[in-house]
Amino acid sequence: MNVTRREFLKLCGVSAVAMGLSATDLVRLEDLLASPNGPTVIWLQGSACTGCSVSFLNRISASAPQTAAEVLTDSINLIYHPNLMALAGQDAVEELKKASTNTKFLLAVEGGVPSKFSGSTCWAWNYNGTDVTFLRAVRDLAARAAGILCIGTCASWGGIPGAYPNPTAVKGVKAVTGKTTINIAGCPAHPDWVAWAVVQLILGNSISLDSYGRPRALFDRTVHDRCPRRENEEAETFGIDHLCLEELGCRGPDTKANCPVGGWNGGSNWCCEANAPCIGCTDPKFPFAQLTSQEGSDD
Amino acid sequence: MATITIDPVTRLEGHLKIKVSVENGKVVNAWATGTLFRGFETILVNRPPGDAQHITQRICGVCPVSHGMAAAITLDSAFGAAIPENARILRNLVLGANYIQSHILHFYHLAVLDFIDGPPMAPWQPSWNFEKRLTDQTGTLVEHYLKALEMRRKAHEMGALFGGRLPHPPAYIPGGFTTTPRPERISKFKSDLSQLIAFIRDFYLPDVKTLASAYPEYRSIGKGHGHLLAYGVFDLNSSGTLKELGRGRLMNGSNTVESVDVNAITEQVSYSWYADNTNNLNPSSGSTVPKYPKGKGYSWLKAPRYQGAPCEVGPLARMMVNGSYTGAISVMDRHLARADEALKIAQAMLHWIDQINAGGAVYARHTVPTSATSFGLTEAPRGALGHWLKISNGKISRYQVITPTCWNASPRDSSGKRGPIEEALIGTPVQNIDEPIEVLRVIHSFDPCLSCAVHVMRPGEDAKIFALGHDHGEEREHSRAAREEGHFHGVSET
Repeated sequence: MNVTRREFLKLCGVSAVAMGLSATDLVRLEDLLASPNGPTVIWLQGSACTGCSVSFLNRISASAPQTAAEVLTDSINLIYHPNLMALAGQDAVEELKKASTNTKFLLAVEGGVPSKFSGSTCWAWNYNGTDVTFLRAVRDLAARAAGILCIGTCASWGGIPGAYPNPTAVKGVKAVTGKTTINIAGCPAHPDWVAWAVVQLILGNSISLDSYGRPRALFDRTVHDRCPRRENEEAETFGIDHLCLEELGCRGPDTKANCPVGGWNGGSNWCCEANAPCIGCTDPKFPFAQLTSQEGSDD
Repeated sequence: MATITIDPVTRLEGHLKIKVSVENGKVVNAWATGTLFRGFETILVNRPPGDAQHITQRICGVCPVSHGMAAAITLDSAFGAAIPENARILRNLVLGANYIQSHILHFYHLAVLDFIDGPPMAPWQPSWNFEKRLTDQTGTLVEHYLKALEMRRKAHEMGALFGGRLPHPPAYIPGGFTTTPRPERISKFKSDLSQLIAFIRDFYLPDVKTLASAYPEYRSIGKGHGHLLAYGVFDLNSSGTLKELGRGRLMNGSNTVESVDVNAITEQVSYSWYADNTNNLNPSSGSTVPKYPKGKGYSWLKAPRYQGAPCEVGPLARMMVNGSYTGAISVMDRHLARADEALKIAQAMLHWIDQINAGGAVYARHTVPTSATSFGLTEAPRGALGHWLKISNGKISRYQVITPTCWNASPRDSSGKRGPIEEALIGTPVQNIDEPIEVLRVIHSFDPCLSCAVHVMRPGEDAKIFALGHDHGEEREHSRAAREEGHFHGVSET
């Protein structure tokens, strides 16, 4: 899409500051916005449920971009996405091969990478009569990508399919490729977190990561730290508003995420606000050995 | 005769490979293969029963609410928990919100690109060069495609008002629901719902009708066996005997609705990668023992059957069983029934929300047994969904799920009968075997969700993978993993 620098700066307003865009960034943006072809993104799905893609679609809007982030995400060249793309079969794979050979590309991975039976519990595609495992596809593309974004907890560390006893030997992308990945944790990943990361990568900004590969800017504080209920009395049963959910098993104190700040689904709600204890879905150990109490009740 | 493989089949949820044989311009044979498995059944064992709603939701991120509902009613049944009326209504409202989201997503973002040119940029271009009959309306349809993105997002924002967040709402719990029906949530929900009803009525439904008029031959393509099955959904009373869309079967294209006996459901594995001695079991006693390669096996999906019959599930089945849709069984009838259903459910939701008792309870305490056996039947947007649970020593000792796409995308059964999608493909005209758009149209009409279909596997240590790949006119079977590990099980290799 074509947006002039002036229009873009008008859109930026406060958001440029909020996004941490410097004067240099804005200059770089000018070139980017002038180019007919935005940065190429290849989005793969492995041992996944598609929840992260559905979640990402929850920030896509048809109306004029409201924020700088929207302008930038609108400018990307998403040449491969299994749920959205027009082509199917080998022709779809040809697009991916063309783009990954000829241009710089960002690799976005949704879902974990299984390696049981040499990776054959998840096939990426059939090409020239040969079934290609997701393991092989990820390794091949990761080696050539300009950056790797893990969308969600599964791609980051395996997630629910990787839970004990990990029947298909699922691992995160970094573990199977040895490459540094930017882990946008969450089950699903919050679309604002994904958009933020895409913007930083487009601008070529370096992203400071914590020891689990998560951007510090997004995952620096616990849910409990900023929860509006933290000073309130504790709930002893379900279905009551405004009470702290720690007695009901809330993992907010141990979970890094900014859910209390932005909420989910355009600020409609979020887990604790819905009186649902945090289940710690941004944590590398999610889903832990259990998510609810032994009896699944408040007893 | 030419053999075509499409892998990946795009614009559906999950991983599907389709192979068809085409002779004299028509499909004469078809094989559907699910190409991903994760092992949810194994993962659930030894976890607290209450984990079921959170874990099973991640079987699928497009229909997680259906799994949340199924798990909640299964647990309620196991615990003997009677939920407050408000909880019943709120559970239905969030499920309904996701139906609206899912149906809109399906028509515009998954299916319609089989007929029109999308926006002029990746990933909607390039596309195959098939005959596009709606070139005059393409601009409008593309506009609607974009508007639909906003509408499905709105449906999720609406659902999250009570669900907590979408996808994967945490609000479904045994004994009821977590979220309270605050007045401001109710009024925002109603306001969003009115906008969604207007969109379905003024854009979605008319667009489906426009498509159906432009491609009338698709009212006679994609029938399949002609058996329809619905468990029913959206309980209107606490016992579940009254539902917005009722339970029943229509077999052999008949107009007489027959009852559904859950004991008549079995899963056959003759053409699936599971041990033959686990064949034809009801899920309450079902077992999952993978076996690869297996001479005839070609899919990770089992073949659910009702008294041995392959049944189509989904909006067409629900609406016809309910007497709310009159038509045939075909590609276009599926799209039309789905749109009709979206409107029917959305309008019903306006009534349900008015029945909420503001300030009333959403959760009821209950005792929790250390052992129990139960099941829960509901419907995902794509069709009939069942969960089967066994609790021993206070933990899950078995959990089985039969999803709608397992019914629809199933492989052949013990008697060699094809699954619904496979059968629906027979007779489909294919103009260009290099760009078999007609095959995609038939598959997409079922709104397949493969993550759901291939979730419950338990691969053994020595399992090998049987991979099917081939060139036009020639079929070559090879076992890649077997070759790498140096084992051969009677699979010939060229």
